[in-house]
Amino acid sequence: MQIQRVDFVDIPSRNVERSIEFYRDVLELPQNPREPTEFEAGNVTLAVWKPEDQGVEFSSGASHGIALRVEDVAAARAHLEGKGVEFVGERDSGVCNMAFFTDPDGNSLILHRRYAP
Amino acid sequence: MIEVERVDFVALPVRDLARADAFYGETLGLKRSSNSGERWVEYETGNLTLALLSPEAMGPDFEPQPNSGPIALRVPNVEEAREKLKDAGVEFQGEVIDSGVCHIAGFSDPDGNSLILHRRYAPHADGVAA
Repeated sequence: MQIQRVDFVDIPSRNVERSIEFYRDVLELPQNPREPTEFEAGNVTLAVWKPEDQGVEFSSGASHGIALRVEDVAAARAHLEGKGVEFVGERDSGVCNMAFFTDPDGNSLILHRRYAP
Repeated sequence: MIEVERVDFVALPVRDLARADAFYGETLGLKRSSNSGERWVEYETGNLTLALLSPEAMGPDFEPQPNSGPIALRVPNVEEAREKLKDAGVEFQGEVIDSGVCHIAGFSDPDGNSLILHRRYAPHADGVAA
């Protein structure tokens, strides 16, 4: 079996419009013009979907984080806090800086920047 | 503007690192990243790194909660890949689904993290090939 790539990572949502506003307006990810529920995060697509529309029970998706690379974790955190995003913590792992938050549906996201070679 | 450049990894919580290592490395046949050590283990999919979050990496009190947002793994042929994984003991959530534009088959890793085999066959609405 040959896995070629990851086509998308699903972002379960209870309210698609709210999710679109978050990923488009707060995180400012480019929205896919073909599929307004899809956002391009550089190397992979984040795909918002509503499980309840397909008879699937909702539960938050990423439980321990999708790591979004930014230039400067502290500056990005301050910027998002200015837009009302609440963070649950931050950590210097010894090789990278991380700050943890969630989207409006509880999907776990991380601002991430490795600084060690 | 926070300027997200890319996704560095998606974290997959696991309770048993050796079992997860065997699943991602041998069953799925992914490449183990050179960043991996005894406690922190990563697998490469081509464009996205999957990072195994284990008690070894996070501490003995780590309580893994399965990731329920599926990660769509692109394969050349979903049905063939599903058969191979079934032969390797992987249980699927039903048959292959044809969405009208792609084939999908859902399954989980040994810790309940949600994965799907995925292949789009239809061109996109603007005519770009899948």
